[in-house]
Amino acid sequence: MASGLGMVLDEGLASFLEEPVMIIVGTQADGYLPEIARAAGAVLEADRAALHLMVSAWQWPETIANLRANRRITATFSRPADYETYQLKGTVTAIAPPTLEQQARATRYLAEIGEVLAGFGLAPEISAPWRVARDLLALRFVPEAVFVQTPGATAGQKR
Amino acid sequence: MTLSLTELAACFEGVIPSILCTVGADGTPNISYLSHVTRLDDEHVGLSDQFFSKTARNIRENPRAALLVVNPHDGAQYRLDLQYCETVGSGPVFERMAADLRATSAQVGMTDVMRLRGVAIHRVLGLRAVRSPLAAAPPEAWRGSALPRMAAVVDAFADRTELGEIVDAALDALEAAFRHGATMILLHDPARDCFVTLGSRGYGRTGIGADVLPGEGLIGLSGKEGRAIRVSDASRLRRFGAAVEASSEQENRTRSVALPSLPGAMSQIALPMATQGRIRGVLFLESPKRLAFSAEDEAALALIARQLAAAIALSEADAAEAAPDAPIPRRPSEVASPHIRVVHHAHDDSVFIEHDYLIKGVPGRILIHMLEAFLSAGQVDFSNREIRTDRALRLPGLKDNLETRLLLLRRRLEDKNAPIRLLRLSRGRIRLHVAGYPIVISDRKSGAQ
Repeated sequence: MASGLGMVLDEGLASFLEEPVMIIVGTQADGYLPEIARAAGAVLEADRAALHLMVSAWQWPETIANLRANRRITATFSRPADYETYQLKGTVTAIAPPTLEQQARATRYLAEIGEVLAGFGLAPEISAPWRVARDLLALRFVPEAVFVQTPGATAGQKR
Repeated sequence: MTLSLTELAACFEGVIPSILCTVGADGTPNISYLSHVTRLDDEHVGLSDQFFSKTARNIRENPRAALLVVNPHDGAQYRLDLQYCETVGSGPVFERMAADLRATSAQVGMTDVMRLRGVAIHRVLGLRAVRSPLAAAPPEAWRGSALPRMAAVVDAFADRTELGEIVDAALDALEAAFRHGATMILLHDPARDCFVTLGSRGYGRTGIGADVLPGEGLIGLSGKEGRAIRVSDASRLRRFGAAVEASSEQENRTRSVALPSLPGAMSQIALPMATQGRIRGVLFLESPKRLAFSAEDEAALALIARQLAAAIALSEADAAEAAPDAPIPRRPSEVASPHIRVVHHAHDDSVFIEHDYLIKGVPGRILIHMLEAFLSAGQVDFSNREIRTDRALRLPGLKDNLETRLLLLRRRLEDKNAPIRLLRLSRGRIRLHVAGYPIVISDRKSGAQ
């Protein structure tokens, strides 16, 4: 992958990324040591060439430190209802406190994903430790490649 | 506080998927979800290798991985730093995980998608709890008292000698000790190679006589493979025959009894009842609660299932040799009693009483044999020995589970509230009770007798 250039996400994918889907962030520390975090929602920019991921710096300080050091990021978006999953790879170009709109979006996302998971029998108090909004930062993520990761025949294919 | 893998046992129950992150040679991270992670010892975990090619390549290029696991009881998250060691494609670790995966696949109908290629063994270099705004409940909070409960259940049936009493005592004691929801005991019928429900608790109906084929669903898989299978979150479970409403019409049409099911069951566990190298049946428990059965419960229930198998085997052996009584002739009077229409189909030995399906196979053959002896010689008392040695019955030999078949027949007659009943006189002896005059119509011979 990795042409180094950004890309424009299609409308369907862009709206999927803003749905209440599970968002996992992968980064790496020096020496290629992998790290995992959860994001508290995504907001697309109008031109669909970048998105902002909200991540709790309080809960996931290693991830924030990795991104400040090397900017490489991968994020997986997975819908609990059918496991439809996309993996986006790219670069973080800015790390900043969320705008009021982004903060509101994160609050709404955290409530909605809690409801979705509750619909699958996972009580809100069980998913609460994954839905943390303390010290949120907005990561500006410029995707360079998208992979379909839904289990099945097309898994792993570049989109 | 230093954490150990042992304390994270609940994270490896396969309830909430684990997340793995690897990094390739070019420094790009890759994320994948894992359905199964198992603790091998205090320093190693095994990951189910259903990896997409990217993860497999990353592991070869860079053996370091990050794993996020979740305790399904409180949602607490833990981060493990891993170093890849090797992938195994056979052996006990692989077999165990492959069986777990088959069980999961059978439930969600994804048998082809979820095929295990190998178990990727990793050394755990580091382990820490992920910060949470909520205080995690101590892991000990879920440790039950499986041992005392097991003792109570085994005590309840260990001194019983008659098969029906053993089954009833075990079902009642399991319900009292585990308070889970519903229970079934199924015994293997070697003649038809299936598991037949002999008793149950907690369902709307008994389901006595319902069959499960080896390999079918959790029960069939456990019976076929001889291993315990546990599901802790069956929210996506597709239960075989769950939508089938049990009715007499349906039984008559299919000549079979529908397996009972617990609506909204979230936890299920099936345990093989094996003794002396032979699987005699399956013990099955289910509950509407998530995580109703812990790993400790599984161990306790596995031992109960083994004890139950031994008690049943002993009861079969003891009942085998009772000698026949002198027959008491009680020739039935055709005039005085109401007629009972009994139809027998020879091809599957299915028996219908007053147009209602009763039973098929060897128990059906035995009932017809008894009714014919009653009609021709007035015989009402029968011993296991004479049934076993009667050549016309073509019983499959000493290991034919005659007690099981007689109990099944007796219980099914009771379930259907039939005008024909079997009463147990003493060990190995039974009495036929007919409230009327049976008209037996069998296509085995030319017609009615």
